[in-house]
Amino acid sequence: GTQIRSCKDECFLFHGSLYSKISAIAKKKGIDEVSTDVLNIVSHATQERLRYFVERLSTIAEHRSEIYKI
Amino acid sequence: PTGSSNSGDGPKVLDKKRLQELVKEVDPMEQLDDDVEEVLLQIADDFIESVVTASCQIAKHRKSSTLEARDVQLHLERAHNMWIPGFGTDDLRP
Repeated sequence: GTQIRSCKDECFLFHGSLYSKISAIAKKKGIDEVSTDVLNIVSHATQERLRYFVERLSTIAEHRSEIYKI
Repeated sequence: PTGSSNSGDGPKVLDKKRLQELVKEVDPMEQLDDDVEEVLLQIADDFIESVVTASCQIAKHRKSSTLEARDVQLHLERAHNMWIPGFGTDDLRP
């Protein structure tokens, strides 16, 4: 059969604050409950998003210093 | 900036220490200026706000009063071309 191996999911964002933030937005939109999985997926997505920016910033900064060298 | 939890009107979801750990993962030699860190924290905040707002719309669309991971997953895939595995669906995607 299929074997799925997994490791403990570490949360990038602070769960308590994230929960307050998400439930406040949800309440405004008329949503009463927030599933706990939502916190994990939002945390992972935010980490991905920031990693994307940092990678690009890193490349741009490298280009800038190369221009100065010339 | 409007309604940001990193600009003082609420608990922080992320701090500079966590952000620096992420930066070190990408490039151990990278150093970020203080104002760049501030912008990245703001980006994180705005991202969470927009993702959760759009995901709530999806939850309402399926006539539910509970926000579920699959709502967030659908939005991330459609709007950001981002696939976070391990949530909602059983099939493992590449």
